[in-house]
Amino acid sequence: MTTLLIKTHEAWLEMMMAGFMSHTNNRETLLDFSDILFRHFTWLEQEMIRNGEAYDYDRDDIPIKVERLETMLKAVIARLLEIDLQLLGLENKALAERIASDIAYMTSVLHEMNDEVITAFNMSRKLPGITLTQEATDALTIFLFEESYKEYELIMIYNYLKQHSGDAFLNRIFQILIDESFFHLKRFGDMMAKMGILAVPRTIMKEVYQVEDVVGFLKTGIDEELAAKEECRKLSEAVANDNAQLAKFFDFINNQENYHIALMKEALDYYEKVAG
Amino acid sequence: MEMDAMVLEHMMNPKNYGSLPTANAEGMGKNPQNGEKVVVYIHVKEDEEKPYIDDIRFQAIACSTTVVAGSMLTEEAKGLTLDGAKNLVNATMQLLEKLPPEDAACSEMVALAIQAAVDTYEKRKSDAEYPSITYQIGGTCTPKEENTNDNTAH
Repeated sequence: MTTLLIKTHEAWLEMMMAGFMSHTNNRETLLDFSDILFRHFTWLEQEMIRNGEAYDYDRDDIPIKVERLETMLKAVIARLLEIDLQLLGLENKALAERIASDIAYMTSVLHEMNDEVITAFNMSRKLPGITLTQEATDALTIFLFEESYKEYELIMIYNYLKQHSGDAFLNRIFQILIDESFFHLKRFGDMMAKMGILAVPRTIMKEVYQVEDVVGFLKTGIDEELAAKEECRKLSEAVANDNAQLAKFFDFINNQENYHIALMKEALDYYEKVAG
Repeated sequence: MEMDAMVLEHMMNPKNYGSLPTANAEGMGKNPQNGEKVVVYIHVKEDEEKPYIDDIRFQAIACSTTVVAGSMLTEEAKGLTLDGAKNLVNATMQLLEKLPPEDAACSEMVALAIQAAVDTYEKRKSDAEYPSITYQIGGTCTPKEENTNDNTAH
């Protein structure tokens, strides 16, 4: 089942990257499919927890540097077929059938998708219709690499906490934070693809998500959110003269962090109350 | 960080990133001021006249600059003998001396993690259970070993 979890993790990210690369309405379908694969991942994870099987979020590298979407789609289909094969060994037949049915539909759609020329790796570092100074371009580049990893990391941390918690109050908070991080990751991934610097977030060290001190994690996390707000503010200022729309986007992300902080404080109060 | 095509390539596709299940030693470089850390895993091929690093990986809880430094330095370290790896660390530290500490910190952390991994490997030749060594970055080229009661890489 470990292999199944790893392959599903890889397929989820690979499908999402394919979505970012697309310039057409293939994009929406690919991103929807990646959401489905993430749910498969969480079901399999929950199954492993129920069975008392040890697992982690390690995975292999996912090669995505392609010139045509067709190449990427073939790789995704191959990975889905590997998952399909692995499902034969899954004891929970209802779960296996549910996932296999989704895979059968997704592969049939992927086979029919129109090919596209991919520009997500051309390193142009230009957003369509927007001219930025070199300094602003460099700041935006660093920001996108740092924050796309951070959002992926947050998705995995909150997912891990959620999977190991039976507490409805906390799980509501974790799910909102997962959804918010997905939104940010998708926006940043989209910008990276447009700028020709698309990259798969690197794997996360176990100690980051296998959180033993949740209170400490939340306290540090609040500080990190405050730092992220500051980065958004700086970036908004750096691009304000060049493009008001882009500056507004970073102000919007900055303001969203306020809500994340409020949710994390809510979770922190709750943990401290329970611990106290 | 100067953003040329080579740096971008290392950011997009960091080389040697991840854990190394076959590693026979690992070491950590740590920035005590902000908690950032780098773990380097090495597999030293021992059945040669001169043992050499035939595989190397790294993982980081750190910024993109550290990942770029890790990608570049581990590429350089791959295939080196243990003395060669030490020379690489020394040469890197000498270069970093010319930079302001805040600019040098990320690469220093990676270099010290490589040194920690090599030192751990050498210690394990006489004591197979020797824990992973952690070095903290500082203002000098001489790494400061963390308290030996707490020097195990996670």
